[in-house]
Formats: sequence, C-alpha cells, structure tokens
Amino acid sequence: MRYTTLVSVLVIASLLLAGCVEHPEEPEVGSGELKIGVVASLTGSASATGTDMWQSAVLAAEEINAKGGVVVNGVPMTITLVQGDDESSPKAGVEAVTKLITEDKVDLLVGGFSSGVTSADSVVAAEHKVPFIITGASSPVLTHRTDIDTSYFFHHCPTTDDYGERTTIFVNEIIKPEIYARFNFPEDRPLRMALLYQDSAYGIGVHDATTKTIETYNLNIEIVAAEKFKMGETDYRTPLTVIKATEPDVIYPVAFLNEQTLIVTQGRKDVGLDSIYLSVECNDDPDYYTGVERWGEYSIQESRFGPYAIPAGPIESAVETFRDDFTARWGAPPSMMGASTYEGVYIAAEAVKNAGTVDKAAVRDALAEIEMSQMVEAMQGGVITFTQDYRESKFDLYMQQLFWDDSVGETRPKIVWPNSVKETDFVLPDWYEPGST
Amino acid sequence: MKQERISIKGWIGICSLILALLIPFLVRINTYILTVLIIMFVFIIYASAWNLLTVSGQGSLGHAAFFGIGGYVSAIVANSLGLPLGATILLGGLFAAVIGLFIGFTCIRLREWFLAMVTFGFAVIAHTITAELSWITGGWDGIPAKKLISVTIPNYLLYEYYVMLVLTVAVLSIFYLILKSKMGLALEAIRENELEAKVMGINVAKYKLTAFAISAYFTGVAGALQIHHFGYITPEIYGVDISFWPIIYCISGGLFTIEGPILGTIFITFLDASLKSFGFTYERLILIGLILILEVIFLPRGLVSLPAKIKSWLKVS
Amino acid sequence: MDISLFAQILVWGLYAGCIYILLAIGLNLIFGVMKVVNFAHGELLMLGAYAAFWLYAYSRLNPYLVLPLAMLLIALLGLSMERLGFRPIMGTGKLNEIFLSLGFMYLFQNLVAYLWSTNSRSVRSPYSSISIPLGAIKLPLDYLIIIIITVVFLIAFQLFMKQTNLGRAMRATSQNREAAALMGVNVERMDMLSFALGSALAASAGGLWLISGQLVDPYVGAIPAIKAFAVIIIGGLGSIPGAIIAGLTLGIAENLVPLLMRFFMELFGISMSFTAWKDTIAFFILIIVLVLRPTGIFGEQGE
Repeated sequence: MRYTTLVSVLVIASLLLAGCVEHPEEPEVGSGELKIGVVASLTGSASATGTDMWQSAVLAAEEINAKGGVVVNGVPMTITLVQGDDESSPKAGVEAVTKLITEDKVDLLVGGFSSGVTSADSVVAAEHKVPFIITGASSPVLTHRTDIDTSYFFHHCPTTDDYGERTTIFVNEIIKPEIYARFNFPEDRPLRMALLYQDSAYGIGVHDATTKTIETYNLNIEIVAAEKFKMGETDYRTPLTVIKATEPDVIYPVAFLNEQTLIVTQGRKDVGLDSIYLSVECNDDPDYYTGVERWGEYSIQESRFGPYAIPAGPIESAVETFRDDFTARWGAPPSMMGASTYEGVYIAAEAVKNAGTVDKAAVRDALAEIEMSQMVEAMQGGVITFTQDYRESKFDLYMQQLFWDDSVGETRPKIVWPNSVKETDFVLPDWYEPGST
Repeated sequence: MKQERISIKGWIGICSLILALLIPFLVRINTYILTVLIIMFVFIIYASAWNLLTVSGQGSLGHAAFFGIGGYVSAIVANSLGLPLGATILLGGLFAAVIGLFIGFTCIRLREWFLAMVTFGFAVIAHTITAELSWITGGWDGIPAKKLISVTIPNYLLYEYYVMLVLTVAVLSIFYLILKSKMGLALEAIRENELEAKVMGINVAKYKLTAFAISAYFTGVAGALQIHHFGYITPEIYGVDISFWPIIYCISGGLFTIEGPILGTIFITFLDASLKSFGFTYERLILIGLILILEVIFLPRGLVSLPAKIKSWLKVS
Repeated sequence: MDISLFAQILVWGLYAGCIYILLAIGLNLIFGVMKVVNFAHGELLMLGAYAAFWLYAYSRLNPYLVLPLAMLLIALLGLSMERLGFRPIMGTGKLNEIFLSLGFMYLFQNLVAYLWSTNSRSVRSPYSSISIPLGAIKLPLDYLIIIIITVVFLIAFQLFMKQTNLGRAMRATSQNREAAALMGVNVERMDMLSFALGSALAASAGGLWLISGQLVDPYVGAIPAIKAFAVIIIGGLGSIPGAIIAGLTLGIAENLVPLLMRFFMELFGISMSFTAWKDTIAFFILIIVLVLRPTGIFGEQGE
C-alpha cells in the first residue's frame, strides 16, 4: 500500500509542478504582440467546422503579419493566435476560454461555434471583460441575454433571426408569384409552407424567426406543418411523408449539412415530395453538392459565402483571392464559418488599431464604433459595423438556386436574389407539384 | 487499549489534503489552474458517486441524467424561489435521488448490461424531456444559473476552491464510511455473487436500491455544483461524454476503491490538459481510449493497483 | 388516419428494421457463444461503411461488389478484437467486458475522426434513380436490394447454424460451453468464428446503409447499435426469430408512435411534433418491456 500512496503523491506533485512550470513570468502586454484566442471545436462532432475556423484565423493572422502587423500608435504589433479547443462540449469550452484568458492572456477572443457551448464559455469572457467576436454560433440569445454583461460580445455571423427572415421574405417575393401565376391561384390563398427543423437552439430559432416574420410583415403564408427531428437523424422518411400529406407549396428544412442532404434526397427520391426545398446558409458546402446528386436540382440555398457562386460586384475579387489563398495554404476551400472567422481576426486587428491600445475596455469601445468596409462576405450597406442594441453585424444574405451542370456531374448554384447580385431568374421546375388548390 | 496507528495510506491522505489546502498559494491564485481544479473536484465527487453504484455490481452508462437533473433542479429552484444555493444544491441532489430510486426500482431484476442499456436510454429520455419543457428549462437556449460565489467578491475563485475542497472531502468521507460499513461489505458481496449474497441473508434489493439512491444523490449534487460554477445550463449537460467521463476516470484510477476515482480523475485531467497544451487534438482522445483498453486487460484494478503489481513482478523475477 | 400514409410509413419502418436485424443477429451470435456484449458493435458498422467507401472510391466498381471485401476486412478486425481484447479478460466479470467494449468504441471513433476527418462521406449507387411502383408507394430499387440481401443473409445464416457441423458446434457452444468443450468442440475457435461472423454482418449493415443513400461519419454507429441492443433485449437474448420480430417491430413503432402521439395530443387541442422523440420512444419501449419481462419477450429464463 505504500506504493499506492507514493503514486498519488507523485501525481499530485507533478500536477503542481506543471502548474508552476507552465507559469513563468508572463511578459506584460504591450510587448509588440497582439494575442488573439481562437475558440473552436478541434475535436468532437463539430470539428470539421472548427478546424476550418482555426485555419481561416491562421491565414488572416499570417496575412496581417506579412504586411507589417497591426500598427498601434506607430508601433507595429504582430498577431499571435492561441488555440482553444472547446471539444464541442460546455465543460471543455469553459476550461479552454479560461485558459486563453488567464494563462495565455489573450487580448481578444474570436470564434465560438455551437450555441450551447458558447453560452457557457462566454460567461468566463464576460466575467473577465475580454472582447469576444463570435463568428460561428448563430443563436441571438448570446448577445441578448441579461444575466451577464454582454457588452464585450460582438456577433459577426448571421443569427437564426436573420436566416428565417431573409428566406421567408424571398419565398413571399419570388417563389409565391411564380407558383400563383402558373397554377392560377387566387391572391387570397395563403402560401402553404412546411417546416422540418432540428430540435436544437438553431432549429427552433429559425422556426420562431419564420413565424415572427410572417406576423411582422403580415405575409399571406400559412405554416401547414412543423416537424422536429433529433440532431444527427438519418431517416426522415416518416416526417416527410407526414409533411407530404399536409400538401405544402414549399418545404423549409432547418438542418445541418448531413441532415439537409438526406432530407432532400429522401424527400424527392423516396417520398416523392416534388416541391421546392429551401435551405439555411450553413449548408453551402462542396459536400452538399456531391451528396444531393440530381435530387438537389432547383432547390434553393441561402448563402453568404460559398464554394461556387460569388456575388458580382465589390467583393468578387476579394472572395476569389481568399478562396485561392486558403486553398493554397490548407489544400481545400474554406467554408462560410471560416470566412467570418477570417474577417473576425481582421476586425480584431482593426479595433486594436483604432483603440490605439490593447486595453480591453478601449478595444470594446472601438469595436462598438467600428466601421470597416466589407471583406469576403457582403454586408448590408457594404460596411462591417455592429448594431447599437445587440452588437450584431448585418449580412447581406443572398439566395441561390441549384442547376444541373453536366460538365461536373453535379448541381451548381446560381444567385437568384436579391436583384443587386442576381445571376439568373428563379425557375419553377416542370415537375413541381403545388399543395392543395 | 491499543494505540490507533495511522497507516501509510492515512498519512498520504493527510499529506494530499495539506497539499490541496496549499495549492492555491503555490500557484499564486492562478485562475486557470483553480478553474481546472474546481471542475476536477466536481468530477471527483461525480466519479466517486458513479463508483459507489459500481461497487454494488450495477454499471451505469447514463449517469449524465442525474448530473443534469441535479443541475436543472438547483438552477430552476434558485432562480424562481430565490432559495440560497446551499439549499437548492441539496434539493437538486434529492430530486436526482428520487428519480434514481425509481430507475433503480425498474432495474433491480436486470442483468449488468440490461441495466447499462436502461441507464443509457434514461439519459436520452431525460435529455428530450428537458429540452421539451422549455417554459421551465429554457429549452435548448438554456437558463442562467446563479454563481456559487458572487464574481464581485475579489478572488472569488479562491473561496470557491475551498468550498469545493471542503465539500469534496466531506463527500469522500461519507463514501469512505459507507464502504467500510456493513453496507459496503454487503454491496461487495452482492457484486461478487448475488445469489450467494441472498443465501447469506443479505437483503439484495434494499442494498442495491440504497446504492442507487446515494449514487444518484451525489451525482445530482456534483451536477448542481458544476452549473453554479459555470453560471449557465443547457441540455448539453446530458451529453454522452458527461456519462462517459466518470467511467474513464474510475477505470483508469481503480474501480471499487475510495482512492481509485480520485487518482483517475487527477491523472486523466492532468494528461488531457497537458496534451492539449501541446496542441494535440484527436491524438489525446485516442491515447485515452488506448489507456482504457490496456487497463481493462492488464490492470483491471486501475492505477492504484500498479504498485502492488510491480511488487509482485519484482518478487517473481 | 389515411391508410396509404400508414402503408408508406410501414415500408419505411421495414427498411429501418432490416439494418437493425443485421446488427442484432451479429450481436446475438457473439453473445450466444461468448456471453460477451460488445458495445462497440456500432463502430463495426461505421468501419464497415468506411471500408465500403474507400474500396469504392479507389476501385470505382459497383458498390455492391465491394461489399464482400469490406465484410472480410471487418471480420478480420473483429477477430483481432476477440483475440487481443475479449479473450484475455474472459471470466473476469460482465462489467469488465462492458468497459472494454466502451474503450474500443471510444478508440475507433476518435481514430477514424483523426485519420479521415469528421466530414461525411457518401457512395453513389448506380440504381439510385430507379424506383419500383407498388400500388400507391414507390419503392426505390436499392431498398428492395437491401431487403433481399437481408433475407438471403438470414436464410444462409440459419442454414449454416442448422445444417453444417461448424454451425452445430457453435450452437452447442452457446447452449453449454463446458459440455461442448468436453464433446471435443474447440470452443476458442468458436469464439473467434462468432466474432468474425458478427463483425461481417455489422459491416454488411454499414455497407448497405451507405449504398442506400446514407452518409457515414465517425459517429454514425452509436445510434443504430443502441437500437440493435434494444432489439435483442426486447426479442430475447440468443433468439434469432425474436430478433427479427423485435427488429421489425421497433423499426415500425419508432416511425408510427410519434404520429399516434401527435393525433392523441390533437384530441386535446395541443399541436406538437413528436418526430424528434424517435430514440426516446425506442428506449421507453425497451424499459417497459424490461419491467414487464426482464428476460425479453422471447427470452429463455437464465443465461
């Protein structure tokens, strides 16, 4: 038994030692280094997205450093990124953010993907008053909550409120007139919309945003079905069969990439629900086009940054450069969460430059007043700026329709809305079947 | 009367305790280390509670259910009735114990791995129902929970650390007493051979249920402690990872003993944190998986049995 | 409720049931012979799907043709799990076996995520656009193939167990290990064979699942495996007909019960979706069955 105790002493001693060794005199800030903590899931279920976010942040930091770093009061500072793996779990998220703030002494935080994880780990950031540019989690609750001081949080990615509102308005403005013209529906007939949404903060958020939009704008749209599914579900045939029985005109799945692919293929192939499928912007990914095969033809996809279509106009060349540089650096194209994280690092650099210091309160004030031109994602008004009330940046989401491309043997997206970036008109396919007349 | 001698094991316990009391100052009140240690204390309580159930031969794969229920009940009661956290945490545990008793009752006649399935399933059920009861639980958005010690107090983490330390020591003492008592012996007899235990006149059902209730109670307390440390609770608390951590901790440290879960939690937490600081991602999870497999095969009694094992090898050779 | 709606949902349940049955038969076999419960069985399904994916990606053959090779690879893996993992701990207690299989589960998931990332993979079946009209329902050809393959496997399996010497030896081992050993059956070889066969069946389930249009990522194995456990618990340990009936019942019930619950709630004027309750319902069924009959519906008393 003596050895048992010996082992315990050794373990505890080594733990202590690690604590002491890992903690040499930290150089105080102002040493020409801007430390940014990147909170992302590098392991766990969300790790594909998390890795993308980390790689985008690295690219941004390398670009900024190559151009001489962030010049603060005439002194150049280089950006150092520190990795914080939240493991897609709140426990690890809290530990990671605490480490970034108190051990690595980061000046800002960028990233954060799952809303459930971020709502736990952002408590630490609020407590230490560290500016946090949230670039992945979509729940508006993150900056709306009142139990903690959220004034240091800046939401730089569209929220579930934005997703639902833009899509619903698009349906009302573009899809509805097409359907009504072809089938001679009277104007007072409400458009029949079916929702198939993930049982999560994300799914429920978009569901609520959709109903709220219909109410706010007094749209003539009726939600005929609202079916929930468990995250990671693989078999949607039953809910789709039920939805088919309610005779919808359009179907709005609120799902992640894997789920969306299966919903569209199972809906068209197995259930024979020949309708227009909508999609939330987070699914504009190469894997989606490979996965849905021909079944994705004519479906609609909301987007802010995607692998194929680029909105014409001011950001076109910036998107191409970013995509090429990212592919050259990491061997695969970036995703939309990567794009906003890339911008997040630039926003952080700009704020520090404007503040003229790394003092956290000053950086927060600079972030609140920031006005920088859009980078690789179209922003409303062409500038990245945060709203006064909940510190959300407003994206100019666009809608794409998928068309079959024989040269690649897959569908490819074309932008159909809004008019400022439109490439082609929305097409109602021949096989389309409306709901009840 | 013979003088009661303190065993070497006892001395080590005392030394570790003194060390634990001094750690905050040795690390100069380092926030990160204190946070890791506080969460580690929570998981020591949790892993020890899981271990107690295992002592009775009942392996649970869904203890996150009790962890989450304890957390939710405590957070909700504290928010709505404004009771002090000391009371709500106990209430959270109590609620978990009642549910645990109910689950234990349905499982009483089941074989080991039927029970494993039922407990796993129960965590899934608890997850769904919690998310569905959004008017109480906040659904998927979750709800804020009061902080154990107000963040406005300077060095509040230091106080939190000592509160957690005292609680951990108290809970471990209770487990120690239970394992040393008649009940502990009965539970071991049941685990070794349920039929024989019955023949020996042990009330198997009573002891198994009691173990279930006590285990669920302290798991609920641990869950409540964690969320009052975090300040927020979401249904992620029912995650499969939360059910698996105590299993990993207990197996690596040593099942059925009082020191096993403690050692295992410290060892894995330390291993995980240090590998993470070197930038390892999946490599560290693969390593933990390998450790788990190798220990089950070659060191089924965990790290605590390593010295004895080495000693016996040395003797043989 | 509309009858055609009902019929359609029954078909979806049938398809889901086939995958559960293939998994459950393999689990049951391993349990029968070795009395070991392999919680990493779902990971064998996942690895089988990955094997099919990589073989298909490199060979570009018809995906159904690479299935046997994928099954063989996973059978070898299962064999090594038995030899290196479960054999050394045999007889040290049921809990140890559960913990060991959890270790394998954790290891395989993270190893695959490390090697091949968590991006989901798909395989394109050459028949994916062909459907067979069956009255009001369209049945995709791939599902028909899956149902046929499942039936063929079941018949072949049954013939093997009943008609061949090896199969009889395996059955003898599952009935009474000591007696079988005394009769000259090499029980250790039976252990290896059961693990290899069970793993191959899991791999076939994974491969068929992928070909039928599903996606594979490192975490897809967990849920089907848990359902397969529920199936053999409900059907009774060691009972093949029990597993078939329970597999189909579970597949149909988890698709139908959410609907019935909704219609029921609507009677009270509450509109609520229960489709997200699929897994929850499966576990409710499991718990109810176990409370009423701790050995399962078709199970024999004792082990």
